[in-house]
Amino acid sequence: MIVLLLLPALLLLLVVFVVPLFRYAWLSFHADSVITGLIAIPNGGANWLRLFQDQRYWQDLGQTLRFAGVSVGLELILALCIALLLDQRWRGRDVVRTLALIPWALPTTVMALGWRWIFNTPYGPVDHFTKIAGIGSLNILGDPNFAWIATVWADVWKTTPFAALILLAGLQTIPADLYEALLLEGGNALICLRRITLPLLRPYILLALLFRIAQSFGVFDLIQVLTGGGPASTTESIALYAYWNALRFLDFGYSSTIIMASFVLISLICVIAWIVLQVLIPSHPKSRGVI
Amino acid sequence: MNRRFLIGLLLVWSLGPLLWQVYTSFCSDQALIQPFVSHDQRWTLIHYQNVLNANPPFWRYLVNSLIVGVSSTFLCLLLALPAAYALNRIPRQLSTLSRLALVGAALFPYVLLFLALLELARALNLGNQLLALSLPYAALSQPLAILLLNNAFNDLPPELEDAAKLEGLSLFQRFRWILIPLISPATASTAILVFLFSWNEYPIALTWISDSSKLTLPVAMARIAGSSIYSVPYGAYAAATVLGSIPLVLLVLIFQKPIVSGLTSGAVKG
Repeated sequence: MIVLLLLPALLLLLVVFVVPLFRYAWLSFHADSVITGLIAIPNGGANWLRLFQDQRYWQDLGQTLRFAGVSVGLELILALCIALLLDQRWRGRDVVRTLALIPWALPTTVMALGWRWIFNTPYGPVDHFTKIAGIGSLNILGDPNFAWIATVWADVWKTTPFAALILLAGLQTIPADLYEALLLEGGNALICLRRITLPLLRPYILLALLFRIAQSFGVFDLIQVLTGGGPASTTESIALYAYWNALRFLDFGYSSTIIMASFVLISLICVIAWIVLQVLIPSHPKSRGVI
Repeated sequence: MNRRFLIGLLLVWSLGPLLWQVYTSFCSDQALIQPFVSHDQRWTLIHYQNVLNANPPFWRYLVNSLIVGVSSTFLCLLLALPAAYALNRIPRQLSTLSRLALVGAALFPYVLLFLALLELARALNLGNQLLALSLPYAALSQPLAILLLNNAFNDLPPELEDAAKLEGLSLFQRFRWILIPLISPATASTAILVFLFSWNEYPIALTWISDSSKLTLPVAMARIAGSSIYSVPYGAYAAATVLGSIPLVLLVLIFQKPIVSGLTSGAVKG
């Protein structure tokens, strides 16, 4: 009886999460493109060999890591500040909390289009601002030095509310008397943050960190709409490259190889992030596991 | 530092970009090109008229997204409720292991599944059907839904169900009359999060749907971005952005409580 209740969900999960993994692993050792008439033909490790020699792949990997690293770092710092602000008591706090959640709730493509207008040269507000400030027109979305910053900016705007909410939930579990005790012993706000807030928040930071790392490594919607991977594919992400390979070049075998490599990398990065966090933030006797 | 200043900063940061879209959507093309020159006809509704009278009209995409969102949410809950309940009734180690696997699946960047799902759609002939989209959507939101609902079942006192069993209620009756009503707050949170996900989802809708009258809102927006029928199309873009944002802004304002409690209880015990 119990098995019957689990079965439908389990089946669906297997089809959508597990079968694709095996399918990708299998396809990555096959040629499957327009050239083969979209029929899978075993080709040994040719796809993987091509991946290791593919300059565009390595460039995209570097760009994706830069994007993920910078935006997740900024997000967490900002989210912590916002969570600390929203954790205090003041009038109208609930309204502000709701309003601050709006960027997270909007479809990524909708606001990516909005950001494209804001960063537009020469008609967008940012361009007007830089001209008035005397910096001149920066051509943000057309300049490889600035375009990736624009993507990071839009991503931080969109996803910080989520991280802030998770951290806020963590802050609300910390009993106030812990702070009072430390303040009585002569501690200041900074010591409180280091000795109580961060250690007790560690599980929540971990959750937000892992989720955001994985998601930003797979960034797709935002970049496709905001820059289309340009200029000259300097903002292209791994997911976008896999997408082009599958739907523009119709090379399913190679696309699967890229995706398979990303699986491995994401798992690795998440494990490393976990370890780094354990080292960076001291543990607290009252801290408990979230996952 | 001054708290008021920080709160103001947070609000400008969060809402500024959206308000700029609202402003842009009411500006005539002339005013957009020369923002600091005074124009006789600065304000206009032409962009909204263009977007609403386009072929297919803009509200079509909103309806499509609504259909997909509602059907996905329904399917997801239908599968997740029994599974979340059953997860507490299997051997402890197995259930801990499954919860861990579910967390992993919930963290996973699902974008990377697009290719395998596209093959699936081709094999089963599911392309260009709005309702078919609810299958992958229900599946992708399954991990989060099961975790959230499982937490809710966990919080119920076990005596409650034992008493109902003694009364002779069948499993279905217990579910229908006792368990479901008691976890309805968690179900509401889950439903809204699943709905938000389905409404906003892009890569799968992009690859499954090509018929322009069946596009969901996110894909339609991206497609508007790709076309340039207007001389300076940003007025129309902005109008589309505003129209596309209104339902979600309303949703957040109305359902703030269940959204927050869903996200945070998922985080606290997930």
